[in-house]
Amino acid sequence: MTLDLMDRLKILADGAKYDVSCSSSGSSRSNSNGVGSAASSGICHTWTSDGRCVSLLKILMTNACVYDCAYCVNRRSNDIPRVALTPDEIAELTIGFYRRNYIEGLFLSTGVVRSADYTMELLIQAARTLRQQCRFNGYIHLKLVPGADPLLVQQAGLWADRVSINLELPTRESLALLAPDKTRDAVVKPMRQVSGLITVNRAERKASRKVPRFAPAGQSTQLIVGATGESDRQIVTLSEQLYQRLDLKRVYYSAFIPIVTDSRLPARPVAPLKREHRLYQADWLLRYYGFAAHELLDEVHPNLDQDLDPKTGWALRHLELFPVEINRAGYEELLRIPGVGVRSAQRIIQARRQGHLGIDDLKTLGVVMKRARYFVTARGRYAGEGPFESNMLRRKLMDAPQRPVQLSLTLEQPAGLITGEL
Amino acid sequence: MAACYQYDGTLDGLLTLYARLLPDRIAPEQISTNLPDQHPLFSSEIIITTDHVVAEAFWQGLTRRLSPHSLKLVRRCLLADYPQQELLLYRYLLLEAEQGRRIDQMLAHPHVAPVWKLSQQVGREAHRYLGFVRFQQVQGELYYAAIRPEHRILLLIGAHFAERFSDQQWLIHDKRHNEGILYNAETKEWLLLPMELHQQPEAAPQEEQFQLLWQHYFSTLAIPERMNLKLQQGKVPLKCRDVLTEFCVLPPADSR
Repeated sequence: MTLDLMDRLKILADGAKYDVSCSSSGSSRSNSNGVGSAASSGICHTWTSDGRCVSLLKILMTNACVYDCAYCVNRRSNDIPRVALTPDEIAELTIGFYRRNYIEGLFLSTGVVRSADYTMELLIQAARTLRQQCRFNGYIHLKLVPGADPLLVQQAGLWADRVSINLELPTRESLALLAPDKTRDAVVKPMRQVSGLITVNRAERKASRKVPRFAPAGQSTQLIVGATGESDRQIVTLSEQLYQRLDLKRVYYSAFIPIVTDSRLPARPVAPLKREHRLYQADWLLRYYGFAAHELLDEVHPNLDQDLDPKTGWALRHLELFPVEINRAGYEELLRIPGVGVRSAQRIIQARRQGHLGIDDLKTLGVVMKRARYFVTARGRYAGEGPFESNMLRRKLMDAPQRPVQLSLTLEQPAGLITGEL
Repeated sequence: MAACYQYDGTLDGLLTLYARLLPDRIAPEQISTNLPDQHPLFSSEIIITTDHVVAEAFWQGLTRRLSPHSLKLVRRCLLADYPQQELLLYRYLLLEAEQGRRIDQMLAHPHVAPVWKLSQQVGREAHRYLGFVRFQQVQGELYYAAIRPEHRILLLIGAHFAERFSDQQWLIHDKRHNEGILYNAETKEWLLLPMELHQQPEAAPQEEQFQLLWQHYFSTLAIPERMNLKLQQGKVPLKCRDVLTEFCVLPPADSR
């Protein structure tokens, strides 16, 4: 069966779109006598109707696969047309799109054909064609195939800016249940290897700039959320370990959407998008705000609060640390105030060198006062009216009070509570 | 008595105006490019004639005096297209003349915060257009792109495209402000020129195929279960969409 390029592109894009990773950041490549460059900030080129950004041409090399993973649209037992693109076709498409500034580069994933090694070799060949024949200096993200030879993993990192291999499920048991052909070790081993190679490469490049770069944008991975019964605590703790021990750049979370029916999968009419959103917020707290997983979640609270963001939730459990005086608090303390981000914390520190800040100044500096007002004082003045008490604050801080569900909740409160606030 | 000052709308004109007003700490009521429709009752109008030498000297002075951060702010604000931006920037420069580099830390000051905010807007739009430029290959090996940004961001994005597409001839045309950047792949130089388009350039033969591939690819990417048009509109405002190939109407599926 031969289909024209358009049909194959559509089928292969359809098979790749459930991979969340989209970032084109973290690598800075200059254009040396060819086409393309990589901006370290990353550049989004457009957004699809589900609100996800398009930065890279995200496609599969082939959607044929020898595996039969329950959650995957490309599983062996799924009855869909199977197609493939050759390395040359991929290079031509990428360059054609790139020169029109549609994309930042290529994200190449694949189903597994014949063997892990054979598939990995095809991926590497596509990347090499782009880099050598097309003199392409844009961003390339390559998937590693679980179980591929360590030598091939090493080669992939030399052509790509970022490599990734998906953990898919948070625990060994879930993986055995839903992806019986993959083992946890086949996934974790290449991750460990890449992590080691990146560390070595960084040290070598410090000694000599002539050493070729190995995966300069690091590695990432992805977890499916809601297909199995793990708690947020298990997931966030796992992410923390991945960031700390394997130095991952990103862990992506993908709310489980039942694409195929399977008795092993939960029957779930709605994707847990809110949960995914809260997990990303917690992830940011781990990476940029100096939080530890055990601060956000513990045995008593194994799951993130759906109604409040994790930082606000943490603050409400630790009211003894608040309110914080913004004219005196250190950077780390400022970062822990709900509504204060990295940028506004830096700006507060800068601005207060020229004199004390008042509550009104905070808004000018970019602080989200909707949340921050309950947790700060400025020149000793507290801006959130009412008593400083956890349940009361919680009700004021609840997200999206305009939702009908939440409105009825507020109405059900005994009148005494509401008047007590006044 | 507060006066309204006028200049000819060019960058040099504005710099001349600043050079004349700043030393005397004059506080203008308004700075405009042409006569306001309603003449203010209690103020007079003064027209400042552009002097390129004065403007150049003033700019050189600024680049020497201002910190890199502050200079970036000023540069971006000069490229903005915003009501009363001249006055905002003038107040900022006036404060700078008094306070010197301390101004870099006075982030909450009423004369600094608006300038910072405006410069953020300009910078953000420039970054957005690094992604939103859509080239089409037209006759004569030229890649042409039209954009319609709020601010005059071409100078902020030129260097990026000159590096990235250093081996192709390209042209980015700002239709709102009637100017464009032309890049010459042989000399590796780019130029900002006043530009007006009289007819749509004719597309190269393979252009339509790539546009179709891109449009179909784009519509395939969305996951129906996650549909969120509000989020999409926040990221890709409607005003940007007419220059984006993927938001132009998809031709019927059978006409490939």
